[in-house]
Amino acid sequence: MSQLNEIIHQPVRLKIMATLRAMPKGAQIEFIRLNSIIGTTEGNLGAHIITLENRGYLTVKKDFFGKRPRTRISLTHAGRRAFEAHVAYLRDVIDGGPPQSSPGGVR
Amino acid sequence: MPISPEEASEALDQVADAQARSRTLYGYWRGAPHLILWGILWMTGFGLADVFPAHVTVIWSIVTPIGIAIGIGIDRGRDREKRSRDWRYAIIALAFATFFFATFSILRPHSIDQTSAFICLVVSLIYVLMGLWFGFRYIIGGMLIAALTLAGFFLLHNHFSLWMASVGGSALLLTGFWLRKP
Repeated sequence: MSQLNEIIHQPVRLKIMATLRAMPKGAQIEFIRLNSIIGTTEGNLGAHIITLENRGYLTVKKDFFGKRPRTRISLTHAGRRAFEAHVAYLRDVIDGGPPQSSPGGVR
Repeated sequence: MPISPEEASEALDQVADAQARSRTLYGYWRGAPHLILWGILWMTGFGLADVFPAHVTVIWSIVTPIGIAIGIGIDRGRDREKRSRDWRYAIIALAFATFFFATFSILRPHSIDQTSAFICLVVSLIYVLMGLWFGFRYIIGGMLIAALTLAGFFLLHNHFSLWMASVGGSALLLTGFWLRKP
């Protein structure tokens, strides 16, 4: 049974997960491009990425492209599964399924 | 904390919006360096063809494989973990070479400009078709290149290669830079 995932359900984090889920498996997106899709401040986006990374939903790679520092983000297998479970939960709610409580809704 | 169906619906709308935007921008991001690359190669190839019209076939038989090799290199640099797609580029290149060889064997163009213009129009068509799946910027780019090709072919008979080198190549370059923008 799918359940509400409060980590993912937060609006900015939901957008981050949705954006990454729409890309091919294993694909990475640069922080700057992700920010242009999400449309928030860099600090806010960075904080939400850390939350998702700590939960094991994202991997963050930092390196240099030429002389330019680059941060790339990708979805983990666990993140993909968690996002799909959360979307399934949202569909269940709309279809009139029994709402579930959060699985240890840690923020 | 349970949520209402309205909240769930709103969240799913946000998911759909973000995913649509993500897919489009990802498609642009993948294509941008290739359009920039081919813009430079058109400038080079058509530029040389204008200076050495007798060696057009040799010029393009050198420029095209270089472009394909650099294109593979660009994607390898982006997907270091995924190299299994390389064979697709070889198949695509082979398919196009076969298609153009077969087409020109049947149609037998009378001039090298006809051959060049036809290839450019096919490239335009591919971009327009790509745009149906990957976003309207490809459609605009494809239509622009087609229009410029036709304009150069019908209005500038003696300077078609020079036109395609300068204006056609620039159109590809600009479309590529446009695709890079979020």
